[in-house]
Amino acid sequence: MAARAHGAIRRWAVVGLLVATLLVLPSLVGALPADVGDAPAAELRTAALASADVGFSGYAVSAGGLALPVSDRLTDVADLFSDRTLMRVWWRGPTEHRVDVVTAAGETDVHRDPAGTWTWDFEAGTATRGVPASLALPTAPDLLPSSLGRRLLSEAHDDELSRTGARRIAGREAQGLRLVPSDAASSVGRVDLWLDPASGLPLQVEVYAEGAEHAALDTRFLDLDLGDPPSRVLAFTPPAEARVLTAPDTDDLIAQAEQRAPLVALPSQLAGLTRRTLDGVPPAVGVYGRGITLLAVAPVPPRVAGGLDTTLRASPDAVVDAQGVRVAAGPLGLMLVERPGRTAYVLTGTVSLDALAEAARRLPGVPT
Amino acid sequence: MIAVELRKLFRRPRTWATIAVLNALPVLVAVLVRLTDLVPRPGEGPPFLSAVLTNGSLFPLAALAIVLPLFLPIAVAVVAGDSVAGEAQAGTLRYLLVRPAGRTLLLVAKLVAVVAFVLVTVLVVAAVGYVVGTTLFDAQPLTAATGGTSVSGTGLTQQELVGRTLTAIGYVVVSMLGVAAFGLFFSTLTDSPLAAALGALAVLVASSLLFTLDAASPIAPYLPTRYWLAFVDLFRDPILWRDVVRGLALQGVYVGVLLAAAWANFTTKDVTS
Repeated sequence: MAARAHGAIRRWAVVGLLVATLLVLPSLVGALPADVGDAPAAELRTAALASADVGFSGYAVSAGGLALPVSDRLTDVADLFSDRTLMRVWWRGPTEHRVDVVTAAGETDVHRDPAGTWTWDFEAGTATRGVPASLALPTAPDLLPSSLGRRLLSEAHDDELSRTGARRIAGREAQGLRLVPSDAASSVGRVDLWLDPASGLPLQVEVYAEGAEHAALDTRFLDLDLGDPPSRVLAFTPPAEARVLTAPDTDDLIAQAEQRAPLVALPSQLAGLTRRTLDGVPPAVGVYGRGITLLAVAPVPPRVAGGLDTTLRASPDAVVDAQGVRVAAGPLGLMLVERPGRTAYVLTGTVSLDALAEAARRLPGVPT
Repeated sequence: MIAVELRKLFRRPRTWATIAVLNALPVLVAVLVRLTDLVPRPGEGPPFLSAVLTNGSLFPLAALAIVLPLFLPIAVAVVAGDSVAGEAQAGTLRYLLVRPAGRTLLLVAKLVAVVAFVLVTVLVVAAVGYVVGTTLFDAQPLTAATGGTSVSGTGLTQQELVGRTLTAIGYVVVSMLGVAAFGLFFSTLTDSPLAAALGALAVLVASSLLFTLDAASPIAPYLPTRYWLAFVDLFRDPILWRDVVRGLALQGVYVGVLLAAAWANFTTKDVTS
């Protein structure tokens, strides 16, 4: 009897040891130290901005906590910023790449070539050809750590950048770079970027709203192989049974909207931010600020404003006062200023709600 | 001993009755889809079901996706839970152990029998799915050049399609090994086959539920059901191996740990029935 009990203890000890080893292994691998490196922040930024032509293949995940108060027509964009998006990417350059958004039951692939894009939607069985537009709604490729990181760093000043530690991402040592916007109006607290020192590629980007503990947007690579992917992976020919569609011409839509837009002379400065021009933005829309602190102001006809007003007021966090209604989704603020029977204003951007209210007061025709 | 266990399993009418019931659901779905021409909207319903109206030869995959989340694991849990506890309840376990082969070999033989059951079941579901799919729906002509379209919209040759389908079947079989190991382990703990099967199912229900919770995402990679649907990744182009490889490794870990626990418990247990 004693021998049997002894045998039982020995056998269970073997099992216990096996389980303990398996439990400890992942944390041991995760705790592997990464080299902080001694490259200054400005040098890392330059390397990141020069990485657009670095070829790679990889697998990335982006997780957003932004509940955008938008209408049903923009659910794709809303999902992009509020859900977990898994992306496979093959990158040869800004005009030659393929990004697949992978879901449990299918995928939506964007194949970019110099002349435009093919978008393949497996579950809908559609292949859509689009032409490059200077202004377009955000799509999955914009959320890749590499693309988003370059975009956020593109206008950063050196005094806004500092070095943070290092961590391992996708099996690589990544060096930390912190961007803290200097504009008082900014609603972004900080952006933490983690870069591959050899290629300059941003491997992870975390965007924090002012005062927030958790990232409002976190996008990172899970796997990454450097080197140009084969061009046959990037190429796309619509399959015979697919429905072939043509994407609406964005530039044409913007031009039409421009014709109907009310004519308003917007001020040259709002909430301490200076007005600027951006490619593709029609003159009726005012864009203010720089880097990651941007504010856009668009005059809209009263009938368009009505629908937006209902959507914004439905948000539990909406602030409603005499000026109008404003809502913040993480670092993104949105405000509607209505004037009965007259042109309304939509203000949106990465600025605080107070900055939105201050900007609204300076708009033509709005009582201060 | 392994041959004896296999013979015993496949001679039981209830084994074949289980397989028949498992096939009934995909066949019913196929008939309903054929009659109504209504497939789930993109993003809803089991993978590949939306595509069967245009290509019936994809129905074996849709059939597997239909039985995979619930029906198949229930069947596996029942068979695995019955393996040792069933003998104990029937009072035949101590006679089995009189044979000189030993308890460890008996456990291995029981596991092999459960694996054989899973393999046969999955093959039958796929075969019935193929026959039903190509009979009820338009199947693209299967020539050497045109096998079908991958999830990524590229063409697959017939050879590629058959190869990937067989790999998917193999992957589904491996995915069920974790369930089988839970069932077998619980089966050595109790003399009630029902309790063992329900124990294994409780683990699966918990795992499926936790997988849907964002708050449980730190433990998601370790949930036994986490990578079950990764067989879809075999039909992307290029194949996305990441989750498939992780799924295989995870099942390997579960089978290894649970078999070790079953062995530690069973080889030192007082068998009185």
